[in-house]
Amino acid sequence: MQITFWGVRGSYPVPGAATVRYGGQTSCVETSTASGDTLIVDAGTGMRALGNKLFREAPAPEHYHVLLSHVHWDHIQGLPFFSPAYIPGTKISVYALLTAADELHQVIGGITRHEFFPMPLEAVPAQFEFHQVEPGVELDIGGFHVTPIALNHPFGSVGYRIDGDGSSWAYVSDTAPFTEVLHKQHFLSGPEPLSADDRVALAAMRDALVRRLAGVDTAVYDTHFLPDEYARFPHYGHSTPDQAIEICLEAGVRRLVLYHHAPTHSDEQMDRIAAEYLARGAIHNIEVLTSFEGMTLEVGPEAT
Amino acid sequence: MKIRFWGVRGSFAMSGREFLRYGGNTTSVELVTDAGKRLLIDLGTGATELAKELMTGEFCKGQGALPILLSHTHLDHIQGLPFFSPFFIKGNQIRILGAAPLSGISLEATLQNQLSPHYSPLNGLENLAAGVKIETIIPGTTVTLPGFEVLTGAVPHGSMWTTAYRITADGKTVTFLSDVEYPAIDEPIPAALVLAHEADLLIHDAMYADDDYERSKGWGHSPARAGVVVAERAGAKKLALFHHNPDATDDMIDAVVERTAARSAVPVIAAAEGNYLDI
Ligand SMILES: [Zn+2]
Ligand SMILES: [Zn+2]
Ligand SMILES: [Zn+2]
Repeated sequence: MQITFWGVRGSYPVPGAATVRYGGQTSCVETSTASGDTLIVDAGTGMRALGNKLFREAPAPEHYHVLLSHVHWDHIQGLPFFSPAYIPGTKISVYALLTAADELHQVIGGITRHEFFPMPLEAVPAQFEFHQVEPGVELDIGGFHVTPIALNHPFGSVGYRIDGDGSSWAYVSDTAPFTEVLHKQHFLSGPEPLSADDRVALAAMRDALVRRLAGVDTAVYDTHFLPDEYARFPHYGHSTPDQAIEICLEAGVRRLVLYHHAPTHSDEQMDRIAAEYLARGAIHNIEVLTSFEGMTLEVGPEAT
Repeated sequence: MKIRFWGVRGSFAMSGREFLRYGGNTTSVELVTDAGKRLLIDLGTGATELAKELMTGEFCKGQGALPILLSHTHLDHIQGLPFFSPFFIKGNQIRILGAAPLSGISLEATLQNQLSPHYSPLNGLENLAAGVKIETIIPGTTVTLPGFEVLTGAVPHGSMWTTAYRITADGKTVTFLSDVEYPAIDEPIPAALVLAHEADLLIHDAMYADDDYERSKGWGHSPARAGVVVAERAGAKKLALFHHNPDATDDMIDAVVERTAARSAVPVIAAAEGNYLDI
């Protein structure tokens, strides 16, 4: 399997001189098998360039599958700019976690409401299909076996373990660690005290994540914050590289990829983060890479 | 009066080396009077860069005041709102002024929808610590803001209308006419000419190079030439091409400026992210 990063930034796109090397577009990753099956994970602004590439390669109607971690703007904003959607006959299947499945169509349709975008979803030539995913309920899409994993993020989010070609990788974004804050479906102006039930829920979520990641070759992980930033915003729903290393170590993940970079982190800062955590990972025998736009990774036995 | 372009890109924020000179942020323009009164037009991603600058001053202490005029609510004009940090400091007085996006849909409901719990962890406008005052403009009326006189007008933008602004301060006038498509390039609507009348600077939608316009008609945007027609007929003193196409690299914009200026009686520049410019 191969993974290609089209957007690695969190929160919002950041153009400019400070982001030319790591990239300024938001969450979007493409993965493909040797036989040519493709999955798209998250539809952030990186999806525009991905769409243009797919369109160049095959300017014919295709069936695309898009797994969404959640529907915050930075994970869906690229969808209306995905050029294959404007080829009649194209099919786009969208998979997402939602409390009510019938809402998904409205939520995705909502981003192309007249107030926000010149063309409403119903008028886009591609045919859209919406599927609800549930943590732990596995599904097969083409040559991929996909396992959704519950994550700790405002209003809920899911990660995905993706198996294919005899190897596996996991997309773990967006998520807070599983210690101080349990994200639910209301606004947090700061960390709220945890009840006994909350602690149980956090421990269960963490256990399930570690279990699902067991033996995964590569984990792409939300490491938005540096430790001092996390200490100020523990209720924002994102992790640090240290927290990601801890989970990967426990699950026996071979390689960790830092992802969902804070929009305020410049290329120079990212260089320092990359060097520091490469060294820290090495202590634990985990290869820690820092994702950048355009990075392609081979996953699995054939890569090792 | 001074002006600073924080975002000049249309539709989509573009990162990368080919977009560094003109800038890849979506629309946001700041005006400052000689006495230091400030006004912002649009909340594209460029506004997040301005936010960083504002937070080094009184906005960090919750003592800032800022009126924001919205041209309309397409995402490239509001996507910076949830990340505009002065909203997170209690005490800042921020007003958002704009027309109702569509009949029957209020500006407040639209922005509330942008921050709905599905799309944003902010979970609603009420959670912006500074609070925000949303004021609906009736296009065609005049709005008085501290330091500025603003004449507003509706202009056609595909299937909707955007609000254009004629802003006067310190005896100078800036006209903001973005996201507009006239029935024909040579027939700007009368409201556009009224708003741009003898403006010191006309900022105009130039989403398409003239040669690309034919196949992009109907999407609600102008070719570069349309701004020249308005500037010449209205007697504007300078034209700034704006709302650059996301596919237009720096070199392509250079070429558009050169070709457009060659056929214009009014001096032409392309708006670029950068420093404060005197009007
Ligand atoms: Zn995110
Ligand atoms: Zn999120
Ligand atoms: Zn626009």
